[in-house]
Amino acid sequence: MKTGIEVKDPVTTGILDRLMDQPAPFLEVLHAIQDHHGYLSEPALRLVAERFQIPISDLYGTVTFYHFFQLEPKPLPDIRICENSACCLHDLDAISKEVVDADLGVAHSGQVEKISCPGRCDMPVPILIGEKFFHHARAGAIDNMTAATMPLPPQTGLEECLFRDIRDGIGSLEGARSHGAWQSPKLAASDPQEVLSQLKESGLTGRGGAGFPTGIKWDAVRNESRGPKYIVCNADESEVGCFKDRLLMAHSPHAMLEGMACAGLVTGAEIGIVYLRWEYPEILESLQVAIDEATAAGLLGEDACGTGRPFRIVIRRGAGAYICGEETSLLNSLEGKHPFPREKPPFPTTHGLFDLPTVVNNVETFCAVPAILEKGGAWFNGLGLGDHAGTRVFSVSGDISRPGNYEVPVGTSLRELLETHAGGTPDGKTIQGVTMAGISGGFVGAADLDVALDPASLTDLGAMLGAGGIIVHDETRCMIQAARESMHFLAQESCGKCFPCRIGTVRVTELLDELIEHSSGNPVIRANPLEELADLEEVLEETSACGLGMAAPFITRTLKKYWPDVVQNYIDGQKTSNPANPRKGDSGE
Amino acid sequence: MSDSVMNLDGQEVSFEKGETVLEVARRQGTFVPTLCWDERLDPYGSCRLCVVEVEGRRMPASSCTLHAEKGMVVRTGSEKLRRMQSTLVEMVLSENPDDECPRCRDLGSCELHDLATEFKVGRNRFLGATSNASKDDSNPFLLRDYDRCISCYRCVRICDEVEADHAITMTGRGWNKGIATAFDGLLMGSECTLCGQCIYTCPTGALADKKMVHQGSIPGEVEVTRSVCPYCGTGCSINLHSRDGKMIGVTPVLDGPVNEGALCVKGQFGFDFVNSEDRLTMPLIRKEGELTSVSWDEALDYTSARFKSIRADHGPKAFYAIASGRAPGEGAYMLQKFTRAVMNSNQVDNCSRG
Repeated sequence: MKTGIEVKDPVTTGILDRLMDQPAPFLEVLHAIQDHHGYLSEPALRLVAERFQIPISDLYGTVTFYHFFQLEPKPLPDIRICENSACCLHDLDAISKEVVDADLGVAHSGQVEKISCPGRCDMPVPILIGEKFFHHARAGAIDNMTAATMPLPPQTGLEECLFRDIRDGIGSLEGARSHGAWQSPKLAASDPQEVLSQLKESGLTGRGGAGFPTGIKWDAVRNESRGPKYIVCNADESEVGCFKDRLLMAHSPHAMLEGMACAGLVTGAEIGIVYLRWEYPEILESLQVAIDEATAAGLLGEDACGTGRPFRIVIRRGAGAYICGEETSLLNSLEGKHPFPREKPPFPTTHGLFDLPTVVNNVETFCAVPAILEKGGAWFNGLGLGDHAGTRVFSVSGDISRPGNYEVPVGTSLRELLETHAGGTPDGKTIQGVTMAGISGGFVGAADLDVALDPASLTDLGAMLGAGGIIVHDETRCMIQAARESMHFLAQESCGKCFPCRIGTVRVTELLDELIEHSSGNPVIRANPLEELADLEEVLEETSACGLGMAAPFITRTLKKYWPDVVQNYIDGQKTSNPANPRKGDSGE
Repeated sequence: MSDSVMNLDGQEVSFEKGETVLEVARRQGTFVPTLCWDERLDPYGSCRLCVVEVEGRRMPASSCTLHAEKGMVVRTGSEKLRRMQSTLVEMVLSENPDDECPRCRDLGSCELHDLATEFKVGRNRFLGATSNASKDDSNPFLLRDYDRCISCYRCVRICDEVEADHAITMTGRGWNKGIATAFDGLLMGSECTLCGQCIYTCPTGALADKKMVHQGSIPGEVEVTRSVCPYCGTGCSINLHSRDGKMIGVTPVLDGPVNEGALCVKGQFGFDFVNSEDRLTMPLIRKEGELTSVSWDEALDYTSARFKSIRADHGPKAFYAIASGRAPGEGAYMLQKFTRAVMNSNQVDNCSRG
């Protein structure tokens, strides 16, 4: 075995000594090394492999999976610009040129790299240099990216759960406590059954998109005899068009931490881990402040909230990979394994982090818990319209007057959300369609804007509600191009393990590219594009190993459903829909 | 119903605890296509070709990762499953270069092309970008042509799970995936022992035996002869591949009782001597300091006379025989028999014992 290490790297050794006893230290160790050295050198990685007892080849392969781990030193950072659905409605080439020439006070290499959505669709176009975000609002205006935009006041008469105090300065512990925060963990410790019964009554389901009932999940983990158990907060909000978790963590971090503490005390877990996406560096800082404040106040730690039971929370930072938002990929990522999704069953409730019983919930799910326990499950349940339970937060972006996050009752119509809350299109144009779930839930066309925003109603339309991101496309947009951008994102972010997703997402992207090029006079190579598309959709939906590939057909099926003439015209080579700008993405690689 | 009976395509079939549906189906002789599966490896579930319909499940399940359960009702091979499997094979073919794979000519058909034949599909649909990941690796034995890689990772997994060498890994993500050693170096600079297990499990021509590949010009069909590797005392079962009476390669035998499909670098690749031009083809006797070709009769007479006189003058213990690991097993047997029965010596050994 070649180690190639003559002199041990004292910095890396120090980092390993300091962090190895911490919960799930793998990502933390790599980030600490990269933060110090600027990259992950071979000697450093060999030390890491040795300490974690991971074969060096496996460690190398795992590191290459992520967007933001670097294996080579780079004196100056590249300029990274979001290329995905909401941002590519803008002229990215022009913006790139502008950024290269602008004096932003930050040194960069002058190289522009397009990246996947960094969750700032309400402030297009985000530009990332090093770990600093800028915001290109319009030509000639590049500013520092501000904190997540506070949600607008709710419409008259609308009761909120997650946002009810968010505008009143509950980001600090003091502010949060002045609004009654951190009361529920006592109940969780003294009467866990009551917590479970309130959660079940509330109808709260997983807000990451899968929609599993939260009370049942916690109950399952509580009933597991093996331990130690873990609470994992999925803050790897990576879906294009979703930026609600960023807002909640920025302005209501204590609700999330409190929800996690409740989960710990109910299930018997003593450690909570927030898996935070790399692209939220400002949240990394502010959330750590919130954790430190709560720990200093005795709300977290050895005697959490005076319950006599320990519960502490650590943040683990991702490294850029959409698939790590899939809960089993996330767990593999925390463990230092190759972040492919796991086969399910078994589910994380029985075999989660390090194969131990684990609650994995989304940020929004945890944030809803304290209010539910304060005001009762029936109260939350009653916030929904009709038979629907509770409220949900939707991230609205694209061609919309007031992009941002909105908390509305489940069952609110899409039209009401877009027109009444978000103000409709900025210049009176007609909405042609919107993307759902971010982008992976397909489209809803203008004809169905009255659909109720609840999972079942969207499923009935052949779309998916998912994590609640909605990108609005007005009448001038090219919906084939929009579909292409969505599919391109999935192709970029497919983990590559299962064949249907790895090949299928790329092939559908290429097929859409071919149609778009055909409308500019290039020949269509395929004899029967629609038949090929249908076959690809079928295997993607029915044979993919995880939700990424399974969801991909929502995009093209709803495209064909709402805009059949447009698709046919593209096949016939007559462009009828007018792209707002001449953007032209690269092909699916 | 017994605790270990499930329903497969309308038939009640029994299974053993821990068996996967794929294993049950294959035992029944049911055709279930796979590309990422190898009986020596843990189930992986990546190619998705082995999907089956399971009553009570909305979506098909990969049978290689699905454990048989009491009362489970499974259907294989419905029209829809066959259509999806066929599409998947076409998609996989579309990743590979648009030319005839030379490995088919040299090595015979691979698993991928067998499936293409089975489903009567070619590289006609879903065309687009191809893998383009060929690696120039200067090692003498293993061809790494990742243009033909379908990313089933059987090579990575056999290196990890069976050989425990961990020489190669999967890199990148999605379409931009790859297979590399740590820091993407050459195999010779990695933990690779050149055992060749990766090429033996590869279901396409992406990994191949360099020496065997270039034997395609020798006419005739490949003949396979089962044997036991003579190199060491382990006794690995091997298949000797030959064309026109000329040995062209060695592969491990999956049901070899000792090796169960494993083989080392010597056993798999160390057979150049068989066809070497430096081999002795005539007996030589040193005459006046010079090695001189002689007839077999002369050589045998000379040797027999010397053996007899040595034994008469110095006794049987003056005789010691050592057989070569490169000699056939039959030769080694004859040598020990001769040593014991004719020379009355027990001093016999074989370099393979070491």
